[in-house]
Amino acid sequence: QPQQEHLTLRLAHTLDQEHVVHKAMVLMGERLQHYSDGSMQVEIYSGGQLGNERELIELLQIGSLAMTKVSASSVESFVPQMRVFSVPYIFDNNAHLWRVLESETGQQLLLDLEPARLRGLGYYDAGSRSFYSTNTEINSPADLRGKKFRVLASQTAVRMVEALGGAATPVDWGELYTALQQGVVDGAENNPPSFYLSRHYELSKYYTMDEHTSVPDVLIVSLPVWQGLTARQQQWLQQAAEDSITYQRAAWAEASEQALAAVKAAGVKVIYPDKQPFRDAVKPFHQSLQQTEIGPVLEQIAALADEAEVSND
Amino acid sequence: MELAILVLLLVFFGLLLLNVPISFCIGLATLATILLSVDFMPAVTTMAQRMAGGINSFALLAIPFFILSGLIMGRGGIAKRLIECAMALIGMLPGGLALVNVVSCMFFGAISGSAVAATSAIGSFMLPEMKKQGYDVNYSAAVTAAAATTGMLIPPSNILIVYAIASGGVSIAALFIAGYLPGILLGIALMIVCAGYARIKGYPVGARLPLKLVVQKVAAAIPSLFMIFLVIGGIISGIFTATEAGAIAVVYSLILAVGIYREVKTSELPAVLMKAAETTAIVMALIATSSAMSWILSYEQIPQAISAAMLTISDNPLLILLMINLILLLVGAFMDMTPAVLIFTPIFLPVAVELGMSPLHFGIMMVLNLSIGLVSPPVGSVLFVSCAIAKTRIEAIIKPLMPLYFAMFVVLMLVTYVPAISEWLPAQFGF
Amino acid sequence: MIKFIRLIDNALKWFLACLMAAIVLVVCWQVVSRFVLNAPSSITEELARTLLIWIGMIGAAFAYRTGVHLGLDILTQKFSPAGQRKIAAVLTAAVAAFAVAVMVIGGGNLVRLTYELNQMSAALDIKMAYIYLAIPISGVLIAFYGCCQLYALATNQNLPVVEGVH
Ligand code: NA
Ligand code: NA
Repeated sequence: QPQQEHLTLRLAHTLDQEHVVHKAMVLMGERLQHYSDGSMQVEIYSGGQLGNERELIELLQIGSLAMTKVSASSVESFVPQMRVFSVPYIFDNNAHLWRVLESETGQQLLLDLEPARLRGLGYYDAGSRSFYSTNTEINSPADLRGKKFRVLASQTAVRMVEALGGAATPVDWGELYTALQQGVVDGAENNPPSFYLSRHYELSKYYTMDEHTSVPDVLIVSLPVWQGLTARQQQWLQQAAEDSITYQRAAWAEASEQALAAVKAAGVKVIYPDKQPFRDAVKPFHQSLQQTEIGPVLEQIAALADEAEVSND
Repeated sequence: MELAILVLLLVFFGLLLLNVPISFCIGLATLATILLSVDFMPAVTTMAQRMAGGINSFALLAIPFFILSGLIMGRGGIAKRLIECAMALIGMLPGGLALVNVVSCMFFGAISGSAVAATSAIGSFMLPEMKKQGYDVNYSAAVTAAAATTGMLIPPSNILIVYAIASGGVSIAALFIAGYLPGILLGIALMIVCAGYARIKGYPVGARLPLKLVVQKVAAAIPSLFMIFLVIGGIISGIFTATEAGAIAVVYSLILAVGIYREVKTSELPAVLMKAAETTAIVMALIATSSAMSWILSYEQIPQAISAAMLTISDNPLLILLMINLILLLVGAFMDMTPAVLIFTPIFLPVAVELGMSPLHFGIMMVLNLSIGLVSPPVGSVLFVSCAIAKTRIEAIIKPLMPLYFAMFVVLMLVTYVPAISEWLPAQFGF
Repeated sequence: MIKFIRLIDNALKWFLACLMAAIVLVVCWQVVSRFVLNAPSSITEELARTLLIWIGMIGAAFAYRTGVHLGLDILTQKFSPAGQRKIAAVLTAAVAAFAVAVMVIGGGNLVRLTYELNQMSAALDIKMAYIYLAIPISGVLIAFYGCCQLYALATNQNLPVVEGVH
């Protein structure tokens, strides 16, 4: 009887232990232990001690790690369909994003991980990313022109910033604080909790809530590990993951508000711009993607927005 | 977990004593340990990934650049001009040449990233000169080795870059600035010992040069010393990152050595590039295998166990810091600096932070501590190079090293217990 | 045999010199593109890291060949020359075994996985497998030099010294 055996799933991620996502995964471990009557547990390695996000996904493929939590943008290199999340202004708002994630489209994206030997258990909320700058107020795309913004080293991220008019500069996350301080870049973009926890608000006094992308986090289990579980064990794990996602969504919203209040208190000017000029600026970029492999997914996402408008009316 | 530690230590020290290259000692010890808890195929694949992952860092790129510029400067007449400048400034003090040796190493350290480069560049000029003036060869080798370690703290410094990565994001620029005062303090402490030693031994005092000549010698060294402003100034003012500063240093040293001083021919450059690649690879092989070792330690949760154990022994910060220092001195005796930093930072940094120490201060303390390891037997790269240049044996230079060790230890204690030595200067630059 | 070893030595030497020159040029271009042209290059960072992995891995094999990996020598010098040769043979075999197990088999498996599962690098958009390929190649070279050394020990010879580096 395999469920009588004591099974430990090792989970690694790159966040520190204060982060709400870490706490959500601790909760997942507790729920799993509860559902499985103590026969299954999760051992969490935080802070990137076992590798960065790309390397952790590889360890899942290699088979020396069972689970990880990474940003959807880190999954892009393994599953090209995930690039959709890096395309700016495809969601009208957070409700639209979650409608997509919970729809067949979102679930299909998780299934698309299987050819890469991965299984997606669900999405955590990672909010929306916005620009912050050390030296200029950004009220419209025109204000981005000629300014250097740090991006992740990914072609989609580079094209995203360029579509909006900025000069994309790939800088390692660990070097970003210094790069902002020294003026190697004029700014960067991230969600409020990361902006706050990274202390970049000490240097960047303007935070423009243009909310260009919403890149969720993905909870992943190694496919061979998943297939090695009994049907009941899979059910317990899936249920524990869903409990933790429910908890995380509420906790994230709270953390996000707290972060925004904290950076305001620290003297950051938070700007709420008219988003329409930003949306207009990326239209040619959207059109250029229609014929690519993510074109159909973008259409499905757009369709879910229309549904919302109809039901709202 | 206990079994894992036992296997790791036994294999590592067994192979080390049998003269296996250190990166392979680390690699084989890691392999034996990882196989205790992971199946063969995932185990070796994970190790291969960790090896590449350890090197896959933009910040580490500065290291080949500072190695390359160090080689070019060593051959390009830059070391010679720095020595002549130091000679003109302090050659007339007691123990003149020994002091000149220390100051030259500090100058060279201030423009190059590695102590081994300083040892070979300065040592190959200074040792014959000191011998000519009647200095004991073993003493000269000891002074060169000890003085070269100042370059580990005086920026640019490759090991501070490694620490920045191991600590998970302490700013390289902040570490560089933080290294100045402790590095200079170390140099002064060594000079005091040298002056005292010279009085006892009655070593000759150099001639005081006419002012005109002093000005001339200092002026000749200015293009070389300009490198400090180019590299450190460029980093602090935000023109480029530390890594980019390394590439700029290569270009500048090339212009100086090939174009201005004309002491390196373009036909010699391929050989310089090969040598630089080889030296880089030795450092990278150490980083690669240490990353794998660090991974299996984390996987077995050994760092957490050690730090928990340390904090139960005592809650007196002074005592725990002393304990960490003694352990690191022991580690430094056997292990090269790079793996020591990569493997022990995740173990001791959380303890130090728990005690209220800043990661910046801890990094400077750790690097200073392990610098002593560079010149302590049995394993010490600077010691090896210095002995090789002096054509002497390691056993022979231990005795003259003793007073120098003492000076280094005193500075280590000062740096450990007086945070301001490490933190004041960076604070002035807003870090 | 000696000829073949020299051929490999020379090929490695020049390959490394070229990679080293390339890495300097790439990072200088990064500074120029950002600072002078104000159009930061998006690939230089990853390209430079890739070159560093190749220099580190292939260079490690070359450094093993030239015998400059740091090591110490306190125990073995107490043995007779014949005893030293025997110990050297065992240790050379251990190093070769590491190269085969971790670098050739482990590294090879990593290349195979990343190739088959089609992982692309973020900025250059090339297969990660090509970046990782340096590991098994280095492993093969170290194992090759190890075997040469074993042969030399067995026949009481010394391998030729690598020229033009020091
Ligand atoms: Na230095
Ligand atoms: Na040592």
